[in-house]
Amino acid sequence: MSASETDASTPKFLADKYAIVGVGETAFMRGQGSGRTTRAMGTQAVRAAIEDAGLEAGDVDGMLSYSFNDSTFSPMIAGDLGIRLNFYMDVYGGGSSTEALVGIAIGVIAAGMCKTVVVFRSMNGFSQVRIGGTGARSAVPVSGDALHNRAYGWQSAGQMFAPSFMRHMHDYGTTAGQVAMVKVIHSQHAANNPKALYRKPVTVDDVLSSRMICKPLHLLDCCVETDNACAIIVTSADRARDCKHTPALIRSVVGRVCKPRIDMHYQHGPISTVAGYYGKDILWPNAGVGPEDIDITGSYDAFTFTTMLQLEDYGFCKKGEGGNYVSDGTMKLGGKRPNNTSGGHLCEGYTHGIAMVIENVRQLRHDVDDSCPVGADGHRQHTYDYSLGGCRQVRDAELTANLGWAMPGTGSAMVMRRG
Amino acid sequence: MDTHDAKKPLPRLTPDNRAFWEGCREHKILLPWCQYCDRPHWPPGPVCPYCFGDDLTWKQSSGRGVISSWVVVHKAWLPAFAADIPYNAVQVELEEGIRLTGNVVGASNKTLRVGLPVEVVFDDVTPEATLPRFKPR
Ligand SMILES: [Zn+2]
Repeated sequence: MSASETDASTPKFLADKYAIVGVGETAFMRGQGSGRTTRAMGTQAVRAAIEDAGLEAGDVDGMLSYSFNDSTFSPMIAGDLGIRLNFYMDVYGGGSSTEALVGIAIGVIAAGMCKTVVVFRSMNGFSQVRIGGTGARSAVPVSGDALHNRAYGWQSAGQMFAPSFMRHMHDYGTTAGQVAMVKVIHSQHAANNPKALYRKPVTVDDVLSSRMICKPLHLLDCCVETDNACAIIVTSADRARDCKHTPALIRSVVGRVCKPRIDMHYQHGPISTVAGYYGKDILWPNAGVGPEDIDITGSYDAFTFTTMLQLEDYGFCKKGEGGNYVSDGTMKLGGKRPNNTSGGHLCEGYTHGIAMVIENVRQLRHDVDDSCPVGADGHRQHTYDYSLGGCRQVRDAELTANLGWAMPGTGSAMVMRRG
Repeated sequence: MDTHDAKKPLPRLTPDNRAFWEGCREHKILLPWCQYCDRPHWPPGPVCPYCFGDDLTWKQSSGRGVISSWVVVHKAWLPAFAADIPYNAVQVELEEGIRLTGNVVGASNKTLRVGLPVEVVFDDVTPEATLPRFKPR
């Protein structure tokens, strides 16, 4: 069927047939509460997600996880919870894996391999394997073409991603102050998220006067390394109807879409281009909606500028206008299209993307976990007063887009709709 | 920059990249070049990524280019680099079109910018390993 024969407003493949029905997490920890095993944390998060869905252990028969070999295999978690699996897989990877694994979960359910799949990530991102390079991760042996950068002292995520932003500043006049607004806005969101690690609002000056990590990145342009586990439950829309909450129906998934190469991605095309440039051509036609239809975004904020580059390449603004988009108020609560209403990785905690999906699931339920009072029906009575310490529920949220980031050359995405 | 610190990572030669690093020891930048479509590619690979051609040769680059992007590292990942802070890392677009990684030496970090013309200089960091770096031209 050609594009002209399809209704542009109809999802091409998924047609709302699958949903996220349960979400759960541990506390986000940094020192206080740290020191638990990834097994203990993973078990707690998966159990919380199952209970959130109103399911029992016997209802779950599939499990997926992702890690940098710094987690616990899913069959261990399943065994600890009395779950007998018909399917499991543990894959290598960090950011951008969540959306990709949701796509895999849908595939294995469609293939009849299992019925209901838990996706989890459990990580001691603060106390053991830190993205900033200290801890076990800096001791990883040198291999392959990493030597073309590592011999020059150019290795950490911040160091490797920053040239994309530096080139964006050169090509489009984008400023450090503009992307600092990503941190400012997310810090205001985190102030309304009782479980966020960093709940104190910051200013552009705070960001620009924080110590330089890798020019053009300041300390406060970088996300907060965290110990935590998070889990989500994917099942068919039919089964979702028996679950406890309004389902978040999945309309479109992009999984680990790539630039022409991902090592030395800057060999090809404009250097500031990220994988979302290619992902948009899958995400939007498959979802049957466009960026203008989206109420809330979850653009991955490993660093302030990663949020901007992805929003731009997925078409939320014109190429080169991302600096304006992230700083003009569009992205804040009460703005036209809030981003990372939880505070994201910059303020809530670093989870390799899964908590950004959890946040949007709760937004689509109209039951985000802020400080608004819980009513007799068990749901929060949202005030929509977004002043600090207040509400963070987006009014009438219907459609969300998560934009997951692994690196400039690889990303994933997902559009969800309120069921 | 203390380039002779033995704890700094050095190139690990493989059949795919050996000619490049051996070229550096002779103070030449050699690029893998496809005999079919007459294009260089980077990083070195077993076949030409543009045409599948497997008849590759190594051709000498002019060693001249411009900075295509850059950063200045203020927090070292590896302890061996801590004494060099702040140091720069750059991508250089060579005249032949590929983009190489390196450092700029002999210039203040304040002078770095996209488009800055540079040329290669060779740093014999050990008797076995030579790293290409760049200086403004
Ligand atoms: Zn060729």
